[in-house]
Parts: sequence; C-alpha cells; structure tokens
Amino acid sequence: MGRGGDVRYRLRHTTLYRYAEPVDLAAHLLHLTPRALAQQAVLAARITADPAPARAVTRQDHFGNTVGWLFLDATHRRFELVLEAEVAVAFPPPPEVSATLAWERVAAAAPGAEAAEFLFPSPLLPADPAAAAFAAASFPPGRPVLAGLLDLMGRIRRGFAFRPGATTVATPVARVMAQRAGVCQDFAHVMIAGLRALGLPARYVSGYLCTRPPPGQAARRGADQSHAWVGAWLGPGQGWVDLDPTNDLVVQEEHVVLGWGRDFADVSPVRGVILGGGAHDVTAGVDLEPVAG
Amino acid sequence: MVDGGGRVRPHWRGVLGAYAAIGEELPARAARLDRAAAEDGIASVLPGSDATAPAWRLDPLPLPLPAAEFAALEAGLAQRARLIEAVLADIYGAQRLLATGGLPPALVFADPHFLRPCRDLAPPVRLHLYAADLVRGADGGWRVLADRTAAPSGLGRARENRRLLARVVPEAFRAFPLRPLHPFFELWQDSLQRLAPSASGNPAVALLTPGVAHPRWFEHMLLSRDLGCALVEAGDLTVRRGALLLKTLHGLRPVDVLLRFLDGRLLDPLELDGPTRAGVPGLLDAVRDGAVCVVNHPGGGLVEAAGFAAHLPALAPRLLGEALMLEQVADGDAAPSLAPFLGSGGLAPRPVVLRLFLVHDGSGWRALPGGLARAAGGGAAAWPPMPAGGVCKDVWVMAEDGSDSIGPAPRPAPPLRLRRSPGELPSRVAENLYWLGRSVERLDRGARLVRAATARAVRGAGLLAHEAAELDCLLRCLHHATLLTGEAGGAAASPAMLARALLATVREGRDPGAITHLFDEVARLTESVRDRLTGDMYATFTAALRAARAETAAARGGLEALAEALVTVQRYAAAVAGMAAENMVRGGAFMFLDLGRRIERAQAVAAEVAAALDQAPARIESGLRLVLELCDSAITYRSRYFGVVQPAPVLDLVLADQGNPRGLGFQLAAMHSALDELAEGGGAVPGERLALVAAGLLAEAEALVAGVLGASDQAAAAAAAPARLLAMGARLAALSDGISRRYFALLPAVQALGWGGAAT
Repeated sequence: MGRGGDVRYRLRHTTLYRYAEPVDLAAHLLHLTPRALAQQAVLAARITADPAPARAVTRQDHFGNTVGWLFLDATHRRFELVLEAEVAVAFPPPPEVSATLAWERVAAAAPGAEAAEFLFPSPLLPADPAAAAFAAASFPPGRPVLAGLLDLMGRIRRGFAFRPGATTVATPVARVMAQRAGVCQDFAHVMIAGLRALGLPARYVSGYLCTRPPPGQAARRGADQSHAWVGAWLGPGQGWVDLDPTNDLVVQEEHVVLGWGRDFADVSPVRGVILGGGAHDVTAGVDLEPVAG
Repeated sequence: MVDGGGRVRPHWRGVLGAYAAIGEELPARAARLDRAAAEDGIASVLPGSDATAPAWRLDPLPLPLPAAEFAALEAGLAQRARLIEAVLADIYGAQRLLATGGLPPALVFADPHFLRPCRDLAPPVRLHLYAADLVRGADGGWRVLADRTAAPSGLGRARENRRLLARVVPEAFRAFPLRPLHPFFELWQDSLQRLAPSASGNPAVALLTPGVAHPRWFEHMLLSRDLGCALVEAGDLTVRRGALLLKTLHGLRPVDVLLRFLDGRLLDPLELDGPTRAGVPGLLDAVRDGAVCVVNHPGGGLVEAAGFAAHLPALAPRLLGEALMLEQVADGDAAPSLAPFLGSGGLAPRPVVLRLFLVHDGSGWRALPGGLARAAGGGAAAWPPMPAGGVCKDVWVMAEDGSDSIGPAPRPAPPLRLRRSPGELPSRVAENLYWLGRSVERLDRGARLVRAATARAVRGAGLLAHEAAELDCLLRCLHHATLLTGEAGGAAASPAMLARALLATVREGRDPGAITHLFDEVARLTESVRDRLTGDMYATFTAALRAARAETAAARGGLEALAEALVTVQRYAAAVAGMAAENMVRGGAFMFLDLGRRIERAQAVAAEVAAALDQAPARIESGLRLVLELCDSAITYRSRYFGVVQPAPVLDLVLADQGNPRGLGFQLAAMHSALDELAEGGGAVPGERLALVAAGLLAEAEALVAGVLGASDQAAAAAAAPARLLAMGARLAALSDGISRRYFALLPAVQALGWGGAAT
C-alpha cells in the first residue's frame, strides 16, 4: 500500500492473437495506455508488440484518451501485445449524498456543453425502454442524484447474474435486460442506457480492477480481465463520480482507469482490421498487483 | 417563368426565342433526347433496371438564369460555403461554438454524422465541393432550401445534360449566348491537384466511388473522365506505412488527393462506424499524417442535418463579420416558382428546384455557370435532397462580356514522362476487362452452339443418322459449357422436350437461362469498365446488347425464332470485337479484354473438337464436318481442299494454323504475344512465365496435328485425340488461374478483429 492515501499498482496486460492462416497486412487501434488524471498518476507505461510494427503512432482521441496505432506489413501468424505500467491511484471519497443536486436539476443542465457528449444514444447504446424503466425506479422526484445513482448501482448488482460467456461485445442492452445476466461491460451499458434515458449524462469507463480484495472482503467479480464501469455526472461544476455496478462499489482505490467514451466501441482496448488470417483465437491476461510505494 | 403580374420574365423570352426555330418539332426533339440518353447509358443497362424507363429524363427546355442573377447567387453561395467551412473547422477543431452556445451541443453530439475520429485531421480545406438546392419564392428571389456538403451529386449529370442538349437542339445554342461549362471543370481539376500535400511531380488524384452497384456510379464515371483522374473503389486502395497507394498492374502507386464519393463513415473501418469491411484501413492515419488529402472532409455531411441551417444566419456575423446574403427557406414559407416542362399534353408549368455547384480553387469559391434543375412535387416535404429519378433541366447562365475569365491561371504542369506501357491500369479494372472478354466470347459461343443445335432440332424425327449424332455432340458441348442444365435428353428425346430445353437458355425472370445470365454478366462488366471505353464504344456495346437481349426475349415462341434471334447475339459479339480492335489503344485495357476473349475461345475450341472427334473412327468424317461448322471454317477448308474431308487437314486448320482466327493456334499465338508484352512491361515474377505456358500449348497443338498427319490410320489417330485436347483444356484453365494470380488483386479476405479483450 502506498503512502498518503494513494495506492500503487503494477499492471501487466497481455493480448495474444493466433491465426490459422498467414496475415499479410494488419492495422490495430489501441486504447491501452492508462489515462493520467488528478486522481491517477501514471508513473510508467510501455506497450510492446511482437512482431514489431512497420509504423506506430500515438495520439489523443476526441475524449482525451491516449490512442495507439500499429501497422504491420510483414506476414505473420501470431501477434502479441503487452502493456506494462505502474500507476498510483487516489480517488477522493464521493461527496455527501445529501449535498448532491436533485437529479432533475442535473438533467436540466445536461444539454450544456460540459456533459452533453455523454447524454445521447451511441452506436452500441441505442435508447432502450427496458433499461429506462429499470433506472427510473431509482429516481423518484427530488431525490439527490447520488442517492439515485447508488441505489441503481446496488439494484443492478443484486438483480443481474454475473455470468461470463452469457454475452459478447455485440450483445444489445435489450438482451441483457431480458436475460438479467452478463458481465461488467453489460452492467455498465445497462446503467448508462438507463441514466441517459432519464436525461443524466453517463460515460463508459474502461480499465482494470485489483485482483486481490482488501482484507476481510469477498473476491471481486471480473477482476482478472479488462474491467468496465460507469462515470456519472453530478451537475455543473460538480464533476463525475465513478461507480462499478458489477461490484456495487464506488471507485476509490481498487480501480485503474485506461480511458472513457460513450460506450465500449469508443474505448475498445484492442481492435484491428487484418488481411487474411483465416480463423483466429485471442487470449488475454491481466495482472494488477499492489506494490509497495 | 412568369412574374407576379403574369408577364413572361425577360430571360425566358430569350429562351423561347431561341427555341422558336424548333417550334412544333419540340416533341420529336424530346423523343430524340430520350434516345440519346438511352444510348449514353444514363438509362442503365444493369440487370434489374428497366432499360425502357430511365431514372432521369431531360426536358428539352433549359432553365435560364440572367448573368446578374447568377452572379448574385454565386456570391451568396460562396459566402455560405465560407461560413460552413468555418463552422466545420470549429466543430472538428476547438469546438468553441459548442462551449459558448453558438451551436446547441445536441446538434453535433446526437448526430451519427459527427465523426469523432476526424476531430484532428486538420486538412487544408474541409469543404472543397459544395452544392446548394434553391427555390425561387413568389417575390422572384432565390432562397436556399438545402446545403450539400458531404459528397454532392448531380455535377456529372449537369454536364451530361449539356452534352445531350447540345446534340439534340443545336440551333437553340446558336441563338443564345450562354456560358460554357468546361472552364469550371478545368479549374476544378487544377484545384484538386493543388491540394496535393507535396508540391513535386504530377500529383495523383483519384475519385473514390462506392462501385458499379451504386445508383450514382454513372456520375462518378463521367466525373473521373472530366477530371482526368483515376476512378477507384476502396478495394483498389491500400495504406502502407502511412501512405495511400493504388493497386495497379505493375504494383502500388501513390495517391495524393482523394475526391471521395463514398459515405465518410465508411472510409476507414479501423476507426469509423464499427467493424465493416468497406473502406481503407489506416486511411485516416494517412490523412492525419499529411500524406494524402481527402475532400470533402469525411465528417462534412454533419452540416446537411435538418436544423443546422437555422443557425447559420446568426453564425455569419460572428464567424465572418457579415450578414448572410441569401435568404433560406424557413418551414413552409416557400411556394417555388414554376417552369415549363414538356409533357404529353404540351408544355405545362411545374415547380422547380435548382441545384448549383461550387468548388474551392485554393483561394476562393467558384460556381459552375450552369447546374441541375428538377421538377419538384407540391410541398417542401416532397423535395428530397436528390431523388433517384424524375425530370430535370439543363441550366443556362447567360453570358456577359468578360464573364469567361475565370479564376487564377492554371498551375504550370511539369513536363510529363512519356509512357506507353499499360502499367497504370488498376488491377480491378484489368480483371473486369478480362472477364468481360471472356463473357462476350462465351455469349457468342453459346449462341453459335444453340443455333447449330436448333437447326437440327427443328427437323425433329426427320434427322438422318449422322445428323442425330451431330445433335448429340452439340448437346454434349452445351452441357460441357454449362449452357444447358438439367436433362435435355439427346437427339432421341422427344422434340418437345428438346425445344423446351433450348428455349430455356434465354428464359428471363427469377430463374434466368444461361444465355440470359450472360447478358446480365456482360452488362455488369461493361458498366464496371465504362471509364475505359469511349462514349461511342460504350453506346455500341450497350445498344447492341440491348437489341440482342430484346430479340431473344421475344423469341420464346419457338425454335425458328430463337435461331433468328441468336444471330443478333453473334452480331453483338462481332460489334464488340470490331469496336475494340479499331478504337482501343493497344495498352493494358485492350490486352486484358483480348486475353479474356482468346482464352475463352481457346478452351471452347479444345472442348468442342474433343466432343466432335469422340466417336468411332469409321464415323470420323461426320465429326470433322461438325468441327468445321463450329469453328466457322468450312469455307476456308473448301477453298483449300475442295470437298475432300480428311482428319489431318481439318485439324491443322482448326488447331494449329495460326492464321485462322476461329482456330486454337491463333488464340494461343495471340495469348503468347500479349503475355510476353505484359511481362516485358515490368515486374515479371521469375518462375512464372505465363507466356511460356501459351507457347507450350501451341507446340502441343502442332505436335497433335503432326501426329495425325503421320499416322498410318488418320481416322483412328483423330479418334484418339480427345483425351489430349481435354488435357490442353485443363492447362488453359490453369493458365487463366495463373493470369488471375499474377495480375489481379487476388487478396485474402479482410476481417475485423476481436474488438479484443472483452471487458468482464
């Protein structure tokens, strides 16, 4: 554990693609560099690729995340990516619930420039009536917005089964609502779709969750893979609070942020287009261990 | 046409005066216009389209615009284009307008046409080609109805309309001083070249089209020709190490400027709109890197959204320090003015929408002195941006003295390197030409075989024994070529069954016959290589094809009619061959068209001679006569050998003689020289000398004939030939595969990966 309230982590995320046929040309887009934030210092971050790309570019995207492009033009049958990073996180505790604005006031201010980007349906999150109705039950008139958010997060944790394999990245929210099961990405999508339907801006946060829970607490769900949760807007000048509906947890010191977008598609950690390759399989592994600071 | 007081507007008087000499001939000219449009293929010949009902009809009367009125429109639209450029620069840049309330964030963030990955492209211009739809209000003033900022359509049609009209009503042009269109296209071509990121050499400009299946393919094809640039599809392009490259016969060639008519959201599957297969992976990276300039901006379509225009009047003072010159149509306030259109009952007034086009020349905006006017329905809801069809008009801008001085002087071009090699042909075009050659030949071959079979089948039970054997052989050939499917039966089958099977080859409808299917294939391929054909060639190809198809479609009644109709199919094939031989430069395009034809004919001759000789040696003479008939060589044979039919002379004429264009030797020799020349042109792959394969086949044909000539029993030797001929057919098929591998972009499938590491 670190000093002064921050927690230091060592992170290692490997992704390995294996192809049945040779790949002649490949282009990969990475959202795989931890985002530097007031609450998160990125002490070191390095991505290595094997085989080495013919061209590599790093830029910031529209959301301010760091994005990497890798272009390979030599024939290959496997492609491995390794992210190694060291970060120190110290999310402040959330504000007093009763001190937050009534949710209607947050919604009224939402179309302004600060948070409108996260207010509208997005490619993977079209408006969904079931998610809207589910979320509405947590927001009776006049309720402080954080009270509603915490209530909704808890209801998702209790009402949905954590079942790896029950969904894919393409599973629509409507299906998750119907089967009441999924993984972290689905729970984040359910919560975001519900909040947006109420007029409350919400964003999809991509990152990692510590493999080992604090002493005396139950093992966390979804800890050995990429993780995802929700950033919710608290109103003009009030900033955002990160909430993990998979574990009914306010994000404080167990999470590491890669970046955020409107939904998974904006911040998919690794995506690509290849020429050839035939059938392929992908294996990924994540290690997030606290280190002495 | 008529002002508020019911008087004919003065500029209309000029048009009506110019048309006075035509007078009552107008309906006849309109009919000629329809015909000319059909010949030019605006009425598409593609499968599924009804060739008799073109999507667009051109009205014989133009829409006139006085010089002063046009000048005001040009100035007003240029201002509007400057404003839209400034708005796009902000939205795809710093977004100050959103932060300060100049634009509601919902207008941008809720619109799927806002392309987030294009925030930081920083091109020299975002808007390069701009079009606006306008209507004239009751007060006579023009108002803007819609802005087109993504990939405006209609320019190609506007220019084509002018060409057609000039052809059909030349006297009206003589009587009316109007501004020509071509200076605009020259300026456009030049300004596209100026967009090239690097100033050296001759910049390569390419026009990106969604492809032949797209409804506006015809326009893209015409524009690429008018702009003198390559017409490419996404599959023709690839990005390597940050550079955009075009796949040509002789390798990858850089592209500096891309004029895109593909939906911006489909340009780069790596970054945009999820995992689609269209587009060029890495294109946006190349644009960001400054290696290529793409116009219009991939996200330019955002401004077309309903509700955007309403904000422009307030933004003009803020961004330009000016008030908007042109009014825009607010909800329901416009009753567009009327213009006369020629209908079945004479001239009748209809509401008209005008589309004008502007291009940024590097320093300012220039309008095409012309445009596209179209008849519109009743209310604003009935004015879609650009419908798929309807009635349109040419737009005549009256000339004033000096009005043709246009823009800055063209940029001096560095001297061109002389080129005679065919290397610049995109691989996809070469492949389509090759298959067009094969398909036309196949159509010809099919017609020949079906005619020969029909000539015997009509005699039904009256066939002599050797004729019945010939008919059997013909049916085998048709089966072998997969032109007949199912059980047609042999000569022994019932005549009715046989007739049904032969007639089924030209069946139309949901289950088309083999020959009908070839018509479709030939039409599709012709359209896909249209930018490589002159207008006359295209018109000949398509008119003759349409005629042949109409004849066969009408021949469903019986075998005699079918035989008659198939003559037009053979004439079509001959017309294509003649036009190609006399009009196409002997470069890559001709070579691949010809290669396709030669290899198809070589395979057919080998298969048909094998089928004809496949009988007892005692009956070989009947087989030999059939060989001469199928290879259209009976007259040549008679002139050489009189009536005596023997195996070696016949086989020499149809297999080895390199002077017989219907024989195998001719095809092999032609393929040999073409493949040799292509390999010379550059980059022959060692160990894959395709020309040598052709030479080897030629030697095999000569050896076969020599073997028969030297045999003590020629008939027995000929009867043993089919196995060797079939083996040659297999080698020809392998040669065709070799050509595909060597010259055509035979690429493995593109796949979207992973969206890897699903979060849990």
